[in-house]
Order: sequence, then C-alpha cells, then structure tokens
Amino acid sequence: MATTTNARVTRKLPPCRAACPAHVNVQGYVSLIQKGKFKEAVELIRKEMPFPAICGRVCFSPCEDACARINLDQAVAIRALKRIVADIEQEQGRVKTEPIPKTHTEKVAIIGAGPAGLTTAYELAKLGYPVTVFERMPEPGGMMRYCIPDFRLEKFVVANEIAYIKDTGVEIKTGVEFGKDITLETLWNESYKAIFVAVGMQLSRKMNVPGEDLEGVFHVIEFLKAISLGKRIDVSERVAVIGGGNSAMDAARTSKKLGAKEVMILYRRTRNEMPALPHEIEAAEREGITFHFLVAPKRVIGENGKVTAIECLRMRLGEPDKSGRRRPIPISFSEHQYKVDSVIPAIGWWGGTPEKSCIPTKLLDEKARGSIIPVDPVTMETKILGVYAGGDIVTGPSSIIEAIGAGKRAAVSIHRYLTGRDLKTGREEIEEITWVKDWKSLKKKQCRYETPIEKPRLSFEEVTRFLEDAKRKAMFEAFRCIGCGSCAECLAEIGLCEIDKPIINDDLCTGCNICASICPFGAISKNEKGVAQIDEELCKGCGICAAHCPENAITMERLTNERILNYALAGFGG
Amino acid sequence: MSFEKLKIVCFVCNWAFGEQELATSSMRKVADVNVVRVMCIGRIDPIIVLETFIKGVDGVLLVGCAPPDCHFVEGNVYAELTVNVLKRLFVLASLEPERLELRWVSPIEEVEFAKIIEDFAGQIEKLGLSPLAREKRDINILENVLAAKNAVTDFRLRALIGKEKELTMGMNAYGERISREEFNALLDEVVKTEFIRHKILLLAKKKPSSVKEMAKILNMKPAIVLRHILNMRRKGRIALDSIEGRTPLYKDVEVY
Repeated sequence: MATTTNARVTRKLPPCRAACPAHVNVQGYVSLIQKGKFKEAVELIRKEMPFPAICGRVCFSPCEDACARINLDQAVAIRALKRIVADIEQEQGRVKTEPIPKTHTEKVAIIGAGPAGLTTAYELAKLGYPVTVFERMPEPGGMMRYCIPDFRLEKFVVANEIAYIKDTGVEIKTGVEFGKDITLETLWNESYKAIFVAVGMQLSRKMNVPGEDLEGVFHVIEFLKAISLGKRIDVSERVAVIGGGNSAMDAARTSKKLGAKEVMILYRRTRNEMPALPHEIEAAEREGITFHFLVAPKRVIGENGKVTAIECLRMRLGEPDKSGRRRPIPISFSEHQYKVDSVIPAIGWWGGTPEKSCIPTKLLDEKARGSIIPVDPVTMETKILGVYAGGDIVTGPSSIIEAIGAGKRAAVSIHRYLTGRDLKTGREEIEEITWVKDWKSLKKKQCRYETPIEKPRLSFEEVTRFLEDAKRKAMFEAFRCIGCGSCAECLAEIGLCEIDKPIINDDLCTGCNICASICPFGAISKNEKGVAQIDEELCKGCGICAAHCPENAITMERLTNERILNYALAGFGG
Repeated sequence: MSFEKLKIVCFVCNWAFGEQELATSSMRKVADVNVVRVMCIGRIDPIIVLETFIKGVDGVLLVGCAPPDCHFVEGNVYAELTVNVLKRLFVLASLEPERLELRWVSPIEEVEFAKIIEDFAGQIEKLGLSPLAREKRDINILENVLAAKNAVTDFRLRALIGKEKELTMGMNAYGERISREEFNALLDEVVKTEFIRHKILLLAKKKPSSVKEMAKILNMKPAIVLRHILNMRRKGRIALDSIEGRTPLYKDVEVY
C-alpha cells in the first residue's frame, strides 16, 4: 500500500530513504535506472510523491547528504538521476492515467495548492477519496510556481506535474481565497468531512532597518512572484541582494537577467555558512555576480524617495549558534556604503505578523507571534477535530520536500480519522537506518566526477533535451549506488528482482563465525544454539558466505554451486 | 593436427556489466566462451573453478567490480583471495596458473566486455589445450587437481580464506595482529600441507598402502609423509588398515 509512510517502524531503511522527509524509495529507483528501466523508476517515485520532475530540479537533496557512498568517494547524484528519469518520461510522453475510482464518500477539502496541499490531495485521491483543492492564486503550484524562477524550474514542468495529479481525480479550484470566499464553517456546511490547511507563508521577512520602504527595495518573495506573473520590474543598474539562501541566488540571477549591470550579494556570514545549494552558488558566480561576505545592512540611504546606496556593517564570526553556524557579530564603527539602485532583501520569508489573517484565530498558537499553526508533529492534527495543517504554515519557511513529507503524514492521518482508527498507533518516527559498513578498512578514492550530469545552461530557457547519452550516463551514475539498504528495498517491491537466499544446514554448521565476519551486511549472527542464522531483512543474496563456509553448510537457494557449474559447462558438450 | 576449439568459462559479476553488454559480446573463433552471471564475484567457490578444470575447460576468467566499487562492499576482496589460493594450488598441481585470471572492471567506466574476453582468449591460445582436456588426459595432473579440489573443500583452507580480514585487519583472541606478509607465508605453508595431505588421502583411498609406497609415488621423504599421516590419524582422517609383515598399511576414512 502506498500511503503507509512512517507506519513502517520495524523495517530498516537505507540512509537516503530515511533522510528524505517524504521517504522516497531512492535505492529502489536508482537500481531500476541501473537496469535501464526509466519508466518504472518514475512510477516508483510517484508511489511516494507526485513531483519527480520538480524535486529532480530544486530539491535540496538530503538523500545525497546521507548517501553511504560518501565514504568511498562522493555521493550518488540522486537528484540528477531523478530529474533525468522525469525528463525522459516527459520527452517520451506520459501515458494519461485513469482517474482512480472513488471508494469513499467522505469529501476532503484542501486549502492551498502548494507542495503540501497537492501531495495530500494526491495521496488521498489514491486512497479513493473525493478531494477538492482551493487555491487563491490563478494557477495552482504555490511557491513552486510563483517563487522559483524559470531558469531553475520552468512553469510547464509544474503544470505537467499538476496535470498528473488532476488526472488521478483531484479537483482544483483556483481563485478561491480562504477566509474570504470560504471559511472553515462554510466548508463544514458543504459537508466536507476533513480539512487540510496548507496555505504556506508568502511574506518576506523584513530587514527592520531604516529606509526599507524606499522605492527600489523589493522584498524577495514579492519580487520573484511579480516576475513569475509576468510583471516588469526595473531593477536599474546596480543591485544589492541581501542574504545567502537559494532565494537570494534566484533573486540575484534574475536581476542579472533583467539587465542589471552589477549584482552583488551581501551576506553576513562567510561562504561556508551559506544555506544555498553549492551548485546554485557556483551558477551565480559563473553569471558574474559578486559576493561580499561578513557584511550586514545597517540602513538604506535614499534621495527623493529612491534608493541610492546601502550602508553596511562589517561582521566577524563568533560562537556557533543553535543551527550550528557561527554567529555573526557586528564590528562597531565599520560602516561603509555600497552605491546601489535597488536592494532585494532575501533573508527568509517568515511572516512576521499575521496581517493576512486568513487563518481562524482558533487554530493559531497564542504564544507565538507569527501566524504559525501548532500541530502534532506526527499526525499533523490541529486543535480542531478534523482539521489538519502542514507545510510552511506549520514549520515556517522550509523546503518542498519537507512540505511533501508533511502532506503525506497528513494524508495518513486524514485517512485514519475518516475510517475511525487511532491516529497514532504505529506511527513513531523512523529511528533506525540500515546497518552501514565500517568503512575505515576501505581505501578512499578520488572523486571521478566533478559534475556527473550536465547542469542547466545559463539562460531563461531550461536545458531539457537529454539525449541517449544522458541515459547511458544516468545508468553509469546509478551503478555507483552500493545499495546499502536491505534487499527488499529495491526491485523486489515491484517484482523485478530475483533474490537469492542462503540456506544454512544446521547439522553441518559448527559455529565457526566465519560467515558472520565475512558477510558485508552483517546479516549473519549466531543463534542461541550456536548455529548461524540469517537476518533476511539485511541479506541481499550475494552468496559470499556460501562460497566461503568452511563446512559447506551454507547453500544458496537458487544459484547453488551445482547450478553455477551446470551453467559453466553447458554448451560444451560431453 | 586436428583443430580443437578452446573452452573458456567466464564468470561475471551481475553488477559489473549490463545485460545488453554481455549479450553483445563477440567471441573469437578459436574459443567457445560460456558466460555465467553470478550475484557477486566473491560468490565463486574455489570448488567450482577446480571442478570446471576437471571437466576439461581450458581457461577460467573471473570478472568482478574493481575495488572499491563492489556492490557488496568487499566481495571482490574475497574473490582476490580465492584466486590467490587457487593459483598457488595450480602451481603445486603443475597446471599453468595463467589459465585462471581475475579481471577488475569498474561498473562506472566504459569497458568493452568483448575486449576482455578476447584478451583472455589470446592468453589461453598461447597455452593451448589444458592437459586435462587433451585426448589423452594427464592422469598425474588430474589427480593433483582432484587433490586440490578436495583441499579447498576441506575446512582448513576455507577457514583461512574466510579469516584473512579478521587476522590481518583486526586482532586475534590474544590481541595480536598478523601482517600481510606473515599471512601470505602462512597461506603458502597451509596450501602446501593441505595439498600433500589430500594427495596422501587420495592414494590411501585407492588402496591401503604403506608409508614407503606413498613416499615413492609422491617423491618425498618417508619421514615427512609419516608425519602427515600421524597428524591426520589424530584427526581421524586416516586409519590403520592392516599390518603386512612389519609394515602398517593406511586407509582413508570417510568423514561424512
């Protein structure tokens, strides 16, 4: 069953899958790519989440950080692989899916068509619920559509993914504003049985410095959204972008493409502490954007109500703070000015005050100042029965994949709530990941690839034409996966694997322990009788134990010694 | 000279090559090549290799993933060890060790499978037919290989291969670590003794015989043969059959 995430407490997951907030079966689709089964790979991703192409482009890939391959050379390029399979599917044309038949009668309303809302809608539609998504903006997609510039994520990609979700039977109503056109009450009256609130946070954080309301200061979310909506914004010649996140990179690159002569990024820490993805930083550098580190804005200086310069303070790094990054400390009397025509603060999009108070006050946290809805982190339920919340409105500004994870958890909860089951049973967070080899005994080797798969070129149009060559490259890259997860992770789930299984002859086993020390995955241990025992969850059927058992007590179920011999001698005759 | 095709068996790791690559491998006219895919090259039991030679194959090629690309982390390390032991046994059995080859291929590099096979076929071509594959089989070598096969089936050698990492990387029960050189010396010695003991066992199996007879056949000093026999008697591998005159005759004991 698809929607069982974080119900699996007993199964150990490979590190990539455990690290992914949506628990996408990474090892599974990577091994499918190894075999050249690109279509099946996309289907496998879609089992867990509906946005393979989007995540393949803009996910911050926690899976790659967790990859066990890091111990050998460098992580498998998981995000790039995901993108390639999604692009290949798009290139070859997706088969239109039939709407999933409605097996439940309870209607579910979802407010906000961002990643969290759409994932919940998709998961519930797969379970057979009639789902309606309400969206304020003219097009669904939320931040994915409006706040990521075209050169990172083209609009048609988002549209394609949403078309897929629509195909499964989800109804999306755009131009409906929560708090104005609809409220919780009207939704209850329209006999919706459960509501999922995922309105997100589309407000930029203010710098809180004098001169912030001068003409020429564009807050990043508003700036990117205006560009996405096709408005023309004149950034003039010199632009200062404040902040070091992905949005800052996006804003800087967008300004450059809009015709700014000089774009600089002002960041209060150093390059090492920048939260933006490394390749985004590199891309920004390649496009000629200058970086100024250890500077923080003090005030924006204007003339006739227009920005002319920005005054900054030098910083130095102090002790690490809660996030583990070193805290910047201002150096007094280090004020200096940069001559600029416009300033784009990109310091996060925390909604400082709930000025757009579309959310009923009953849902809000009294203590917190912002418009944050308190929820149970596992079940996503709010203070009101039948109302669930997720995404940025719960966590504060976060990533797409986090929102997808939240959406999946909420879908499980809503399904359980509507079928009258307990929300919590068996849903503890996954703690254990698969056993990973002690890597110290192996020699580390040099990185083979600097850029394993070509990154998009520098222009508004995206590079989409992946050729046959890219397929081959993807297969080679996928081969780098060492498959550290348990065997059931990969192909077996979709019936494509021929797993071999060792069988131990208890009478012959002397308990010498060689198999246990030889097994690369620690799947063999001795039981209370002193006889070797195989943990089938960890075993991957390599057969190394069978080849080296001194007493020949281990035989493989399928590929026995005799079988191998027969294959070896077949066709020679005699 | 009647032209006879060489027989080559190639064991390939499942992960080293894609399916299509294996299917398209062209074969040289001089050789018949049988390609067998196994889950990991470490899966290859030394018994299998020796058995294929007994069945009259001229060369065995193992193709595995280059370290550290093994899909099963270190299966290739064990394959290398197995091949080391086998090559030592080949020398003792007076079979050319070049008939067995282990090739590393990195699964993420583009190497042509056909090229590897052709190289190996060329190597075997130089050696010609295996002495076990000719019309008149070399009985001596056959017996040697049989003894070698029994030796690798037996506990001691397999245990030593299995323990290699533990001994050279970790510590033994007394907190000592054996260096790689020491281990290799140990392996040499064990391979030699095991080989001789299994030859003695084979002789004893054929007919109960005395130490002197065996020493003559084996071309060794009777004292050394006696020492081996006493050692094996302690373990219950060989037993006294009868006493002929004053000479004791020994026979093989079925273990299982």
